[in-house]
Amino acid sequence: MRNTMETTATPGASIRTERVFERFTRKQRWEHWALFLSFTVLILTGLPQKYRTTTWSQQILATPERLYQIQTIHHIAAIVLIVLVIYHLINAIYRMSRRNLSADMFISWKDFRDAGQMITYLLFLRKDKPRYGKYSFEEKITYWFLFFGIGIMLLSGIILWFPEIITRVLPGSIIPAAMLTHSTEAIVAGIFVVIWHFYHVHFQRLNLSIFTGKMDEADMQNHHAMEYQRLTGEMPTQIEEESS
Amino acid sequence: MVRRQRFFIISLCLAAVCSIAGLTLAFTERAHADVLSQTTQGTEAYCLSCHSNPDLKMTLPSGEELSLYISAEDLQHSAHSPLGIECEACHTDIKTYPHPVINYQTSRELSRSYYLACKKCHSTIYEKAQDSMHAQVAAENPNAPICTDCHGSHYIQPPDEPRAQISTTCSKCHTEIYDQYKNSVHGSELIGKNNPDVPVCTDCHGVHNIQDPRTTQFRIQTPELCANCHANAELMSKYGLPSDVYDIYKLSWHGVDVSVYKARWPTIWHDSAVCTDCHGIHDILKADDPASSVNPANLLATCQKCHPGVSANWTSAWTGHNKISQERTPLLYYIDVFYSSFIPVVLWAAGIYVLLQILRATVNRVKRSIK
Repeated sequence: MRNTMETTATPGASIRTERVFERFTRKQRWEHWALFLSFTVLILTGLPQKYRTTTWSQQILATPERLYQIQTIHHIAAIVLIVLVIYHLINAIYRMSRRNLSADMFISWKDFRDAGQMITYLLFLRKDKPRYGKYSFEEKITYWFLFFGIGIMLLSGIILWFPEIITRVLPGSIIPAAMLTHSTEAIVAGIFVVIWHFYHVHFQRLNLSIFTGKMDEADMQNHHAMEYQRLTGEMPTQIEEESS
Repeated sequence: MVRRQRFFIISLCLAAVCSIAGLTLAFTERAHADVLSQTTQGTEAYCLSCHSNPDLKMTLPSGEELSLYISAEDLQHSAHSPLGIECEACHTDIKTYPHPVINYQTSRELSRSYYLACKKCHSTIYEKAQDSMHAQVAAENPNAPICTDCHGSHYIQPPDEPRAQISTTCSKCHTEIYDQYKNSVHGSELIGKNNPDVPVCTDCHGVHNIQDPRTTQFRIQTPELCANCHANAELMSKYGLPSDVYDIYKLSWHGVDVSVYKARWPTIWHDSAVCTDCHGIHDILKADDPASSVNPANLLATCQKCHPGVSANWTSAWTGHNKISQERTPLLYYIDVFYSSFIPVVLWAAGIYVLLQILRATVNRVKRSIK
């Protein structure tokens, strides 16, 4: 892990060194963009199809051609997501084979302890929050919830896209099962992203590191203390007690 | 001469008795009957003095022979005569003997002219019939049915007594369809058994304003048409049939598609299956009948009408008109359980966790501002 050093000269003040840490690589930031865009397009084009019997959906899908158009857009976005998932998995497998895959995103016992500590903290039963590594257990929940959610969506989506071909191999009952799953899981994933991910990256604090790739020293010390310590060898000094 | 007088007196008495009977009928009918009977009463006996002769006939310019015989007995049992609505009510141009000259080339031409007399009293029904498929084709096809083709002319009887009579009437022209219908689950219950619950032709096609059933508009109405009976719990329970087939169909892929077309694009042709696409139209059979198009043995061929080339697995994609159940559709059942019990718990937990975070952060901020 590289960390960049930047110096900022403030007129009339002593020179202060502020360290900025690289949190996401360029490739990871592209991956997030691809996921963000395809997910948004898939949700926006999927909802009118799910709720076809409602008036608002019928206003959007005002002609039969519109339905085919929106399905085409949905399929194009799905291809983007499929390519992303394949890239992501191949990258992970390749790194694993080189024994080079970072373990940061994998779930460990520490995550369970952190979750327990965080819940007792939120219930005012203790004063200090857990000290996280590169990814907090909250971020890991986001990743793995969407990892499996997207897996379910892609599998069920492909079944619905090519039902005639799929049923040459699999039993027919897979089709209604895929319809129920695709339609429900989409809403689940949407709700999850809105309440969980949006809160943590927009409202709790605005965390743009997935776009900039960088995180400043204060945020590193406050939110990823263990990672800060690992990278710098220093104990975090700025931890705000009882901060949000 | 004595016989003739006696007949005249008997006819008069009969007409009087019948006009009293007519008074007891419904108000509108009575009004018509009153007006007509005042003006036409007595003409019947007068006309019959000649027309009761079975040999009375004339030759039309086309060479066609037209019988002019009227059976006095059959006339007495018709719908009109007992009400005092007699010959002149319809044959308005014939008031005396000798009759005015008839200019019709064929008997068909004559019928097509005389039936307009029906309009005088039955104007609403006549107008309705003008909107029908039959009236539309009448412009090109002189054999398109007019009132008298279905109801008869002189010896009009209630058209639905017995109920099977309706189908018999239609079968005069629609022979092939009648042959399909009489062996169907509906027709076989009607013909011979006279079951009042099964549909006859007019229940689905309408009576006087019969529309072309091959149009987009008719097709889009099909599920509701069948639901008229098949969503009626009381009626269906008599035969051990489920009454939720329509409601479940509406939730299906086909049903949703059809409902959107119905709501938004009723004039655009759609290919999503309606009831008749799978079950058949006039030849509907019970699903457990080996010849039924929806019998498991024939289901694949039925699906392949719209989904060509699908494999035998395809048919099990159709869950029938059944709710999700553990026995019938276990996969769907467990997916439903997963999403209706486990996932809500997860989402609620996530929501509550975020709420606790907001609460704790707010408390911290307040504490800091107080310090």
